Amino acid sequence: MDNLFGALFEIVSFGSIVVLVVLGLGIIASMMGIFNFAQGEFVLLGAYITYVVHNAGAPVWIGMAVAPFAVGALGFVLERLVVRRFYAAPIVAMLGTYALGLIIREIVRGLIGGLYISVPEPVGGSVNLGAMHFSSWRLVIILITGLVMVASYLLLSRTAFGLRIRASLENPSLARASGISTNAIYGATFAFGAALAGLAGALIVPVFSLFADLGLRFLIQGFVAVMVGGVGSFAGPVAGAAVIGTLSAALPWVIPPVIADVLVFVLAIVFIKFRPQGLVSGKGV
Amino acid sequence: MSSEFSQQSRRRFLSNFAFASTALATGVGSWVIRPEWANAAADPIKVGIATDLTGPIGYAGNADANVAKMVVKEINDAGGLLGRPLELFIEDTASNESVAVGNVRKLIQRDKVDLVLGGITSSMRNAIKDVIVARGKTLYIYPQLYEGKECTPYLFCTGPTPAQQCDEFIPWLIKNGGKKFALPSANYVWPHTLNVYARKVIEANGGEVVFEEYYPLDQIDFSATVNRIISNKVDVVFNTVIPPGVGPFFKQLYEAGFLKNGGRLACVYYDENTLSINQPAEIEGLASCLDYFKALAPEDPVSAKIQAAYDKQFPGTFLFAAGSAATGTYRGLKLWEAAVKEAGKVDRDAVAAALDHAKIAEGPGGPAEMVPGERHCKMKMYTAVAKGGNYEIVARSAGLVEPKEC
Repeated sequence: MDNLFGALFEIVSFGSIVVLVVLGLGIIASMMGIFNFAQGEFVLLGAYITYVVHNAGAPVWIGMAVAPFAVGALGFVLERLVVRRFYAAPIVAMLGTYALGLIIREIVRGLIGGLYISVPEPVGGSVNLGAMHFSSWRLVIILITGLVMVASYLLLSRTAFGLRIRASLENPSLARASGISTNAIYGATFAFGAALAGLAGALIVPVFSLFADLGLRFLIQGFVAVMVGGVGSFAGPVAGAAVIGTLSAALPWVIPPVIADVLVFVLAIVFIKFRPQGLVSGKGV
Repeated sequence: MSSEFSQQSRRRFLSNFAFASTALATGVGSWVIRPEWANAAADPIKVGIATDLTGPIGYAGNADANVAKMVVKEINDAGGLLGRPLELFIEDTASNESVAVGNVRKLIQRDKVDLVLGGITSSMRNAIKDVIVARGKTLYIYPQLYEGKECTPYLFCTGPTPAQQCDEFIPWLIKNGGKKFALPSANYVWPHTLNVYARKVIEANGGEVVFEEYYPLDQIDFSATVNRIISNKVDVVFNTVIPPGVGPFFKQLYEAGFLKNGGRLACVYYDENTLSINQPAEIEGLASCLDYFKALAPEDPVSAKIQAAYDKQFPGTFLFAAGSAATGTYRGLKLWEAAVKEAGKVDRDAVAAALDHAKIAEGPGGPAEMVPGERHCKMKMYTAVAKGGNYEIVARSAGLVEPKEC
């Protein structure tokens, strides 16, 4: 019984890490119609900023609070300078954002000397329940993921800003005719997606340590999650991330890890073959 | 800053300019370091270094290149070899085998080097050894700790083998940890081969292997593994999971109370570089067995001298560490120097014949000797334990440990 609870906690915690990472990616893919291949590097930047702030002597949580804003600001600038030139050609956008990601990744690799660096968590240790140990920081991540998910959902579905975002996605020309600046909306949406990635990076860096390929590791999982969940809605990528994250954490409990790793992707491909529109089809929230 | 500028002179500018244009001419990633007395009458002896200056293990490759620069400069300052200066050619293998083969071919065909030292991973060694040894007809020295079984003629290994890393270490672990071992491993050749040897030594010393499992190289969640380790009441985790997985793995073990319950972590590639992957508390008591640790400095004046010279010339992030192959690079170049001196020429067969039994009295961690006929190196081995973010040496081999290869 203890064992089952332990397993469930670990699986849920890894699932929520994947959800947190995919959230920003999903919002950009669904609300703007482009796949941002630099998303993993936004995660990396969030992690790096947390490390830099901590290294300068400030408490870790300050870095975690700064990271989403800094990465969001950078996302805004990059959207203005580079990404907006690609809206007409989504395939080229993939290559363009991949190039951006590559540049960010290699710069960070140079800055940290290619090493693996630990960043302490603001809340360390573990919560003990009988013989079971639950990592406190993973509990915090599960909580924050839940909060961020609810907040993002409310932002998109209940606010005027969310309405504008959805309007710009569904019918850009009508939105423009109604006086919505789609340019500004796209910029803000991209910055918001980048900020979520920055937050994800800041929160997961104590778990996985800082290294240049941190974001790359989640990028592939993230895309499979978006594909499985379905592009176009807010709920789709989140559901996809939950499925992929849970599967990749749960399978190694029952089958050899090397097979589990491949099996997640095989299952995803088979699923998409039979349900190409993904778990959640249709546009909207 | 200002003092640096004031030292700039026309001569210095010209020499830097010449260096930069050489770099441009030979392509990105190629570095030629000419001895300061290149106008000597004799042709220089050409030393080729092929190592991973860029890519995921760039930190190790840069440290190796630094060591090579240091050793070559030392030899040149002392009058060179056989009255000839050494010229150093450094090529980037870029952590990428296909790039590496092309760059190593440059060393062989264009630069016509007399020796190639380098390669860090086994896959890299396997990719470039044929280019160097068979088609290139050049001597090759491989400096990294590895899984053994490399018996190609003209290929000499100067890093520790499984026998050197296990024979004294595993009995120590059984005494200071317990009898029940877990072997969590990354899924590639080094862990697979090392585990076969480790399992033999564990069982021969009365221990047992509770489980042996392999993971994809980029796996970073180990909750299932940690659970199995805790529920099997494992005493010693003999880890061969590599970065990036190793950090989260050790952290999850720590959070699950493995260390608190008296468990012992062991990892034979852990050196000063890898200490920074985790918080000190998460790897408290982790034991490693290598040919050199920085902590040796107070007890071994030779190691202290080499370490100090390196730190002075190359302050920064690229550490002089055994797991980066930095000590193997030092040893390899010094053994080769001894062999060239004995042979009296740089001809491949003559040097290989001398290198077969070459010895050096001074090296990082102590003296080293090639074992005749084995093309591997006898050396002293040390067991160190992580305490509060630093290593403490807890055991030393009585003499030079046999590599038991070939």
